[in-house]
Amino acid sequence: MEKFYTTPRSETNRKAKNRYFSTLCLLVCGLVVLTLITLLTSIFITGGSWLSWEFLFAGHLEDNPEESGIWQAIIGSIAMCVLCALCALPIGIGTAIFLEEFQPRNKILRALHWLVQLNINNLAGVPSIVYGILGVTAFVYMFSYFPSITPNDPPYCEVGAEYRYQLKTLGGDFVNFPCPDKNDKEFRITEPLEAVNSQGSPFVLNVVDTRSQAPKNDPVLLKQTVVKGKRPSAYAVKSFFYFHLPFGKTVLSSGLTLGLVILPIVIIASQEALRAVPASLREAALGMGATKWEAVREVVLPAATPGFMTGAILAMSRAVGEAAPVLAVMGGVLVTTNGLTNLMAKTPVLPVTIYKWAGDENVGFEHLAAAAIIVLLVLLLVMNSIAILIRSRYEKMLG
Amino acid sequence: MKNSPKAFVLLCFITATAIVLAGCDQPKKAPAGEGEATGTAGSSSSFEVNNSLKGKVVVEGSSTVEPISIKAREEFNKRFTKVNVSVSGQGTGNGFKALANKECDFSDASRPVKEKEFKLCQEAGVSFVEAPVAYDGLTVVVNKNNTFIKSLTVDQLKKIFREDFAAKTWSAVDASWPDKKIAIYAPGIASGTHDYFVEVIGKKDNKGLRSDSQTTLSEDDKTLVTGVAQDEFAIAFFGYSYFEANQDVLKAIPIVNPKTDTPVAPSIASIESGEYAPFSRPLFIYINVENYQRLEVETFVDFYLENAAMLAKEARYVPLPQSIYDMVCDNLEQGKTGTHFLDDQGEKRSGGLEAVFKPENLRAR
Repeated sequence: MEKFYTTPRSETNRKAKNRYFSTLCLLVCGLVVLTLITLLTSIFITGGSWLSWEFLFAGHLEDNPEESGIWQAIIGSIAMCVLCALCALPIGIGTAIFLEEFQPRNKILRALHWLVQLNINNLAGVPSIVYGILGVTAFVYMFSYFPSITPNDPPYCEVGAEYRYQLKTLGGDFVNFPCPDKNDKEFRITEPLEAVNSQGSPFVLNVVDTRSQAPKNDPVLLKQTVVKGKRPSAYAVKSFFYFHLPFGKTVLSSGLTLGLVILPIVIIASQEALRAVPASLREAALGMGATKWEAVREVVLPAATPGFMTGAILAMSRAVGEAAPVLAVMGGVLVTTNGLTNLMAKTPVLPVTIYKWAGDENVGFEHLAAAAIIVLLVLLLVMNSIAILIRSRYEKMLG
Repeated sequence: MKNSPKAFVLLCFITATAIVLAGCDQPKKAPAGEGEATGTAGSSSSFEVNNSLKGKVVVEGSSTVEPISIKAREEFNKRFTKVNVSVSGQGTGNGFKALANKECDFSDASRPVKEKEFKLCQEAGVSFVEAPVAYDGLTVVVNKNNTFIKSLTVDQLKKIFREDFAAKTWSAVDASWPDKKIAIYAPGIASGTHDYFVEVIGKKDNKGLRSDSQTTLSEDDKTLVTGVAQDEFAIAFFGYSYFEANQDVLKAIPIVNPKTDTPVAPSIASIESGEYAPFSRPLFIYINVENYQRLEVETFVDFYLENAAMLAKEARYVPLPQSIYDMVCDNLEQGKTGTHFLDDQGEKRSGGLEAVFKPENLRAR
């Protein structure tokens, strides 16, 4: 009798192959888990015992890992995250709404639409250091359109700075008084004027013609005396909204650069969120006579908001971990004197601190780097769990 | 399925809190290395804390000098709490660039100013005061287990490191040494250390450092240390302070002093006395005198120079003789700007720091 079917390979052979393949999958999976476990264990062994409240609330000290900490870096990371969210979320969600909800019918606009979509998909894969270089050109130097920032001259378009003069009196006290014109570098003291001493109490500056006339026997008066013709130097008292152009190597520049890094991610996640809103909701709204904008505002956006938030938080946790663009824009800052008092200041952030500590010549900082990694991981874990929490609520809501 | 995300989140939170709490209760591990020896700086005598001096001081330049400047900043900020000092170490060349562009108040440098940079400052109308702050001994190191090298002469170093000799194996340098490949680790071209080494071994013949497959160049000193620590037949060079911090895995090679013909091991004593030649070099800061008129810059620079010897020691460098610091302070006070290391033809003066850094050698700017 002729065979109408090919003989199946033996039953056991097929089953065995199936088993081999499942084992292989399991092995690969185990390898991944093993790597993760090794990584976490090694980090905990190196850094776990260095975690302490002092570590969280102290600043970096050169060559002194025992008393160094990451307080400024935590504040810096949070500030940068907020800046980056403020810049990326409105633009990102807006773009997603345009791409998903307002698809044009015009041929030219459709081409534009297609081009934007293509670019966003490509941009999501661009390495973050490339954005760093872009940030240096666009935000730090602003295409060299404004004069560059030098320590001796007030920057261009300055807002929120009050200038004062300071000088050292013959008695060695540091005193200051208001500066009427910040660009006047030739101001000299000719007559007595009201000033504030280093204790913060006001007094009238005593002016003598030559050094020999100084009241050497009266230390209190000597502390208030200057020689006629002395040139004071100006400094800026910066308020919290201090601002200038170009942005320079500041936290604002790096926040905006990080905003660029996560923008494509925010857009793509928001598009997914909009696509997940059932078409029936939209159609029902339109069928009731709502305009497109009304349908989007009243129906689609509320339904998509949890999705937006999930995407936003995942994007932010990417931003928190980025070191390369921050290094390119702000440089490797480990500690600042005054902390983060305005947006035109430098600040350390967690990933850069980890990078610098890991390469420090004092080996003690390797442990601190590991401890900082644990803090960063905890931060990411918390952020991701918030995202998951929101998503689960969202799933429940849509039933 | 609905409940599982919540359970996961709960798990995450519990782990997170547990990690933080567990970590926080444990005592700190005993400090590794000698970091704890340097607690508070030398003059721990009582000082007046000043909160009224304000402003900003910007320092750019050599990553070799950076530790001294950072130490200076730390000590200075204990006394003057409101002055914002920012120090960045992007390399000596970049420091001079920033100085010429008036972007910094003073620049750190691990070598004297070059003719080109001097001209650049002249064109920009920048006058600077040259201030040596410490000595650094460039150290040639090998693996701890390397027993065949007892000392090296400058000629042997040329055979190993120069692009025209580029010895492939150790036996090509000295017949009694093993027939093994030489692995070379060297600082990258942006670093002053690289420049200085090339100047000693190849300047006269206009030859540079080799850059073949046996050579690893890196700006990260740590790469050099790990490279040598893992390879018995590797050799590297970098600043003395970096060797001192890694003595447990590295061995410094005594260098034969060309004048006395005796091998001298690098140490603080031999660097200070000038016996460790030709690989001990001075480190500088170059101060823009226009910026020096700002009170906060003046106060910081004066503090830096007054305490330079102590700061140099804290950063593991070798202090200069007091007479040199005194001369720098005089120059600053009298506004004597310019460099001592270039003659009127723009050629670099040769000789030790004390021979060159003299008032009559000042080329004014």
